[in-house]
Amino acid sequence: MTSILLLVVLLAAVGSVAILIRPQRASTFEFYLAGRRVGVVTNACAICGDYFSAASFLGVAAAVYASGLDGMWYATGFAAGFVPVLLFIAAPLRRFGEFSIPDFLGRRLESNSVRLTSVAIVQLIILAYLVPQAVASGIIWELFIGQGVGGLSAYATGVLVSTAAIMLMVALGGMRGTTWTQAVQFLMLLAIFVWLAIIVVASGFNYPDALRELSSRPLANPVESGGTWRLEEVTNRLHPESPAYFGEPGGQYSQLGQFALILSLALGTAGLPHIMNRYFTSPTGTAARMTTVWVVGLAGLFYTLAVLLGTAARSVIRDVSAELPWLAELTTEGVLRVPEYALLVLGQVFGGRAGLGLIAVGALVAVLSTIAGLLLASAASWGHDIYERYINLHATQNQALWAGRAAVAVVAALSAGLALAVRPESLTGQFPSIVATMVTWAFALAGSALTPVFILAIWWRRTTGAGAVAGMVTGAVTAVTMCAAGVLMGDTPYAAVLMTPTVVSAPCAAVATVAVSLASRPPQDMDRIWVRMHGTAADRRAVRIARLTVAGIGRRSREGR
Amino acid sequence: MRDPVRADDGREPSLGSADEHDTPAEVDAAFRTLRRVAIGHVAVFTCVIIAVPLLTAALGWWSQGRLSGGMSPMFAMTAFGLYAFFFVICLAAATLSNAVEERMLGGPAREAHHDEEGTLPP
Amino acid sequence: MSNGSLPLAGVVLLAWGAVYLVTQLITAPPLGTGTTVLIGAGLTTALIVGYPSALRGPRSKRSVQPASARVQQGRHGTTIAAVGRSMPLRSGLTAESAHRTAQLLQPLLSGAAVAITDREHVLAFAGPGADHHRSGDDVVAPTARALNRGKTVLVRRRGELRCPNGDCPLRTAVIVPLTDGNRTVGTLQVYRGDGALSPQGVVEGLAGILSLHLELAELNRRQRLAVDAKLDALRAQINPHFLFNTLNTIASKVHTDTEETRQLLVRLSDFFRYVVRQEGHFAEFGQEYFFVRTYVSLEQARYGDRVRVRYDIDPQVLTAHVPVLIIQPLVENAIKHGLAGKVEGGTVTLKARVDPLTRTTSIRVADDGAGIPADLLKRISDGERGEGDGQGLSNIAGRLASLYGERYRLDIQSTENGGTVVDLQIPLG
Repeated sequence: MTSILLLVVLLAAVGSVAILIRPQRASTFEFYLAGRRVGVVTNACAICGDYFSAASFLGVAAAVYASGLDGMWYATGFAAGFVPVLLFIAAPLRRFGEFSIPDFLGRRLESNSVRLTSVAIVQLIILAYLVPQAVASGIIWELFIGQGVGGLSAYATGVLVSTAAIMLMVALGGMRGTTWTQAVQFLMLLAIFVWLAIIVVASGFNYPDALRELSSRPLANPVESGGTWRLEEVTNRLHPESPAYFGEPGGQYSQLGQFALILSLALGTAGLPHIMNRYFTSPTGTAARMTTVWVVGLAGLFYTLAVLLGTAARSVIRDVSAELPWLAELTTEGVLRVPEYALLVLGQVFGGRAGLGLIAVGALVAVLSTIAGLLLASAASWGHDIYERYINLHATQNQALWAGRAAVAVVAALSAGLALAVRPESLTGQFPSIVATMVTWAFALAGSALTPVFILAIWWRRTTGAGAVAGMVTGAVTAVTMCAAGVLMGDTPYAAVLMTPTVVSAPCAAVATVAVSLASRPPQDMDRIWVRMHGTAADRRAVRIARLTVAGIGRRSREGR
Repeated sequence: MRDPVRADDGREPSLGSADEHDTPAEVDAAFRTLRRVAIGHVAVFTCVIIAVPLLTAALGWWSQGRLSGGMSPMFAMTAFGLYAFFFVICLAAATLSNAVEERMLGGPAREAHHDEEGTLPP
Repeated sequence: MSNGSLPLAGVVLLAWGAVYLVTQLITAPPLGTGTTVLIGAGLTTALIVGYPSALRGPRSKRSVQPASARVQQGRHGTTIAAVGRSMPLRSGLTAESAHRTAQLLQPLLSGAAVAITDREHVLAFAGPGADHHRSGDDVVAPTARALNRGKTVLVRRRGELRCPNGDCPLRTAVIVPLTDGNRTVGTLQVYRGDGALSPQGVVEGLAGILSLHLELAELNRRQRLAVDAKLDALRAQINPHFLFNTLNTIASKVHTDTEETRQLLVRLSDFFRYVVRQEGHFAEFGQEYFFVRTYVSLEQARYGDRVRVRYDIDPQVLTAHVPVLIIQPLVENAIKHGLAGKVEGGTVTLKARVDPLTRTTSIRVADDGAGIPADLLKRISDGERGEGDGQGLSNIAGRLASLYGERYRLDIQSTENGGTVVDLQIPLG
């Protein structure tokens, strides 16, 4: 009961921060972009807050728990995603400076059809990303509270409660609120990981020794057959004749599967609308670049800890499962049946109910912050790109704001509905971690449909609107088709590759974009667009004005003394 | 001779947009240089990302060898090394890109020159 | 200039040999092919990546006379090796250099004192009697004779030295004049206290070496002056027509486009500020590039779309050091002689690359303009000064020669009506 109290208190604290620093006069500009004056480190933390969802917080550790080294490719891919962002996108995107991805593409290519197509793609990505978050909150509720409210199952209650909370937060907070709350939330997540890692290491966990112990016998995971659970050895995908080991590759992916997964995740980040929107809030293009460097550093730290904790969970839970009766219910011969529970169980082993509560709060915070970012991106693209531009051309700021908030409600409800339709039990066993796998689909869609078009629009002068539309449609259709085929094929060798389709669909999208672009005419005023996107004049002006302001303030305060 | 166009020209002298201005040719040059920087770094990045899993096939030691306890070189690389590598390559690319932009667009800071103007030879 | 690639190829070959030796012959069961290839590939990559920086060595704050430094080497090993090698007088006849020279010579002439003077004062004194013979004293009387006649003077009696100090241990002196080529600038004096004279031949030999050093110093100084003068002339010689035309362009736009007028004035002031403030012979390429950009944008304001420009710059080249005011004249020539005459205009391409392997900076200025007629091209490459040549190529070549000696290359290719390509290769600094 105390842990529930703790969870409520912590959630209330996070929520009240959002309400307390809510902007008093909400304009659309502030609602979406927080006035564009956000420090580099703060913005980096906020991006991390947006980025580290349940897939990172629970999913990475779960994947490492379930398949060892091969589970780590998730973390690698998530962290690698920011390298292309930094190299190709961050600075020009900020310098061109629009409100959202559809706005950016629409103005760069001077085409309305591009704007509409990209709104559709963005909404699709957001939806694909929202569903696993809702699933994760359902899983957390199921384990932590264990009972439903008003006749619903525990899982359904979790999904609905988290969705409602988020809708409330976005409607009340606006984006200035969420920039700060995102940063604070990320620091909370990091603090929880650091706390857990310190406790685990202090209790005698030794990374190399645990690895030797884990790798001394083949990797085996629980499988349900005929109502009973038993351990079954994992087949080695690299060498089918020999067993798979925890510390060696082959537990989950074939050679091609590894590349496909890493590529999907690495390219996907650049197309995630809620992450890219954050770049518009950097003061200059250079700041956007340095923000990304910080993000990469923080992500590295975060995932190093996540991997360590996943390994620790595998080793520790096995050792203590016999002694703890509550744990025995969840495990089969010392291995958890649902790998997502790994961190939660680890928290309870070391911190009792309070430890479990802390991890659960962390996971919920990760879910909430990501959902908030996603819904905001969704609201921005509905309210700004559709409502203000096509439905009500003379919309007041207030109307646009409410249109965005209404869109938030619809999208959140839609994702909750989809999450309820998915039963996590029906899919586990097929994938190392259902949450991480479902997030991969969103990454695949973003990396196939948006990233190639993005990179070409920024770095190739000849890109045209028609080409971009062709590329986005090709990428999206290829990715969705391959993913669907992968799910239908089930547990066949090619399924894993089919479910990380970027390796095929991104080149398809790029080829389609280039081919159609060459056949159509580029926008007239390329020089002006290029000067705006790649020139630094506006940056230099902003820096100089900032410097003059600081100097003026300094002089005035000196004179005052 | 005072026409109305000049009348509104008395804006703040140092903050006008004319002081910072890029020409299309300059921007194009900086753009192509930055593109070269980006492609170079992406090539290194891709090679490393591909090499880590691929080395398993070429070199048994990579995944079977033990550095300390049960940690193979590949495990160490995936668990810590790659993140450090990402950070280093990002820092290098960001620093280089910023330096390139600073040198290829705009001029040296002009504020510093105003006080020295008096010392110039007549 | 590709003297860096061959050693590298050799080193790589050696590395593969070593890898083969270690993995296949020394290791008891030979390693597998994959492993061997992998080790070799890793080693090769490391070598290729590390080679340029190893070649470059630690970055030193090199002063700017590589050409003169070259001349001075190879002059060691004369009669008294230590003196010949250390050359303290290479910076000219100053109190400090004289002092070091005297300290160096004194132990070589057993028991004697050594003094070095200019035409009026003692610059340095070392050895017995140094307590009252100090630098800054007036020279002893017989010095004037040596200076005036330009010949060795031997002083055998103590009275002739007219030392006011009665306890002075010095009794005889050999005074030899020092010359810097054509005039006597001072003397070398060797004193003895035992009544005998120092061997005249040795002292004259030493004076000869010192004179040679002084001559070299003078030569250096004059060479530097000449280059400085050339550069100063270049700075002062910014084409008045250019200023005239630019001001005209600006004047014509004042009423129609105030914004552009302001931009042009800012650029014009940037242009002149750079010329005036630039000091020394070298600047970062980035700075010179800024100067070229400023110049081109002013010319573009005048010629409009007829002058197009394309820069193609390596990121590494931006921090390389290049001689000042070399690239802009090349671009100016391309615009003035190449494009200005063509009705439809054309494109100037500035391409800058760095080859870390051969430590070369290469800069190419190309235009698709009028080109240079064959006879004029021949005269230019023969080093004659063309009349319509403005800040001619011969001037640039002269400055490059004085800065780099033989270690630069300046090629011109041109076809009439087909454009001109100027290729410049200089050592990476």
